[in-house]
Amino acid sequence: MSAATAVLRRLKFSREVVLLGVLIILMVAMSLLSPLFLTVGNLLNTSRFFVEVGLMALGMTLIIITGGIDLSVGSNLALVSVAVGFSYAAGLPLPLAIVFGLVVGVAAGLFNGLFITLLDLHPLVVTLGTFALFQGLAYGLTEAQAVSDFPAWFAYFGQAYLLNVVPGQLFIFIVAVVVVWLILSRTRFGRYVYAIGNNEEAAHFSGVPVRRVKLALYSGIGLLVGMAAVIYTSRVYTARGDSGLGLELDVISAVVLGGASIYGGSGTIGGTVLGVLIIATLRNGLVLAGVPSTWQVFVLGVLLLLAVFLNEFFRRREE
Amino acid sequence: MSEARAPSEERGGSLGDTFRRFMLRPEAPALVFLAVLLVAFSLSSDKFLSGPNFESIVVSVAVLGTIALAVNQVILSGEIDISTGSMMGLCAVAAGAVATSTGGLVLPLLAGVAVGALAGALNGLLVTLGRIPSIIVTLGMLYALRGVILLVTGGTWITGIPSETRVLGTGSVLGIEYPVFVLLALFLVMEVVSRHSTWGRNVFAVGGNRRAARFAGLPIDRVRFLAFVLVGVFVGIASIIYLGRAGSVQTNTGTGLELQVVAAVVIGGTSISGGRGSPLAALTGAVLIGVILNGLILVGVPGTWQQAVLGALILLAVATDVLRRRLVGDKA
Repeated sequence: MSAATAVLRRLKFSREVVLLGVLIILMVAMSLLSPLFLTVGNLLNTSRFFVEVGLMALGMTLIIITGGIDLSVGSNLALVSVAVGFSYAAGLPLPLAIVFGLVVGVAAGLFNGLFITLLDLHPLVVTLGTFALFQGLAYGLTEAQAVSDFPAWFAYFGQAYLLNVVPGQLFIFIVAVVVVWLILSRTRFGRYVYAIGNNEEAAHFSGVPVRRVKLALYSGIGLLVGMAAVIYTSRVYTARGDSGLGLELDVISAVVLGGASIYGGSGTIGGTVLGVLIIATLRNGLVLAGVPSTWQVFVLGVLLLLAVFLNEFFRRREE
Repeated sequence: MSEARAPSEERGGSLGDTFRRFMLRPEAPALVFLAVLLVAFSLSSDKFLSGPNFESIVVSVAVLGTIALAVNQVILSGEIDISTGSMMGLCAVAAGAVATSTGGLVLPLLAGVAVGALAGALNGLLVTLGRIPSIIVTLGMLYALRGVILLVTGGTWITGIPSETRVLGTGSVLGIEYPVFVLLALFLVMEVVSRHSTWGRNVFAVGGNRRAARFAGLPIDRVRFLAFVLVGVFVGIASIIYLGRAGSVQTNTGTGLELQVVAAVVIGGTSISGGRGSPLAALTGAVLIGVILNGLILVGVPGTWQQAVLGALILLAVATDVLRRRLVGDKA
């Protein structure tokens, strides 16, 4: 019994190592499936896809650590993409249009945050509502039209290469990872995030400004979604209302796979980054192996359930 | 409570009391809202309040309402189910496949209900035994079941549903169309079950205060598990109505329905935090959504705005619920 618990404790301690192992096994399997997989060009190209999910997953990690959730990220991405594209098409200079898009992203996040904190509602209900609202606004405002006549330099955000090999957005992601990691592990704000997730009431009575922390988190993920949306719009070179459809599944799966408890209180940026990499590898490998995209969604759905189940299984064993 | 009121005072206040008691019922705001909308739309368009138009509205929400009646029980028990869109698609595929090979009404219905019950049981098991939050379970199932639909159909449509299978969507009895008939019948069943069966009462207890329900010795897991299975069964029944009305099944059948269902339940007045609500709330919410979507078309709002309207309605409903509870002072 004690030996078993010791093994399990070590397993928990080395969760990141386990995830790293999974990632390596997955990469080997994928390279066996397709000879194209393990080429430098493909691996770097894969990063184009995971940066968008990765940026949102960073914010989602903090939110899930507080015991919350944000189902509206995919819809918010569509809203920002449409805001950038259509304000540009309406005559706004593109740099201003991008700033406008980021403002829309933060405003949408702030809307979630205000709704959740002022009315004391569970985030999942609020963001289920805004999931429909944001996507509906993106559809309705554009009348299901698309904008794609951007100037050439707009491609810089999603299609450029630095030093001719490294996709530009990879740098944005790395900077974002470092910043969010510092905030979570080195600041008082980060301690507040864990405190709220462990026991919100106790945190409140200990003087943690619970509402302000939550407002900052939901607005913050709005900013990250905004950045992801600009990169996404630049990469596909089109702004339309159905961008980002279903992306919330990728984001939440990555965070949960990375070890964040859906009940709050635990989770790390390192784990989330590994979770993002695993999902990106899986998606890219499935694409190269010729698996249709709806099947990838099936795999993700099952993966999400499995990850949560294993998380809670091990957590209960520890107790 | 301690002092008996004077008879005259009681008589004077009785109308007000009845009104107050009505307004305290969970579905009261939705019913008032529905009445206001009916008046407003019939003033703006003389076609609106004609009998056939109203019946066609109820027919159009029969699938939604049937599923909402069951999801209502899940939400009352303090959980949520957002997998119903894909589940409806899968049930329709199963029922459609049986219908094209054997025909008849009973066998396709059984196939749809069986597949639904199976999917619902899986949801229930993962929530109760797996102890995974229902939002995560049903989010995962929403995508996983859509994948299963693709696996089973290979991406092709199911067409040529025989007319005897389609009777629940197209036929009528005693001058009432079958979808309306089925919806009202299931509503009455749920009213009785919810008020008078042990399980129906337990759902309220578990959703109202789970810890208290556990200490009282109620089988919390079984109560919630059965609620999820019930959703599957009702989704199966709804899929036959869908099959009858649409006459074919596509791989994207039922997409987005899960949001409308949750919207119907919470707009109708069932509290999203569980323990408070009624089958009448789910029915009212479903009809309200039908009236709003129908009214928007009559007023000339393009269909692209439907999703935004749904989202706004969900937010409006949960906000009203909170504010009303703060006003009444009813905690939890």
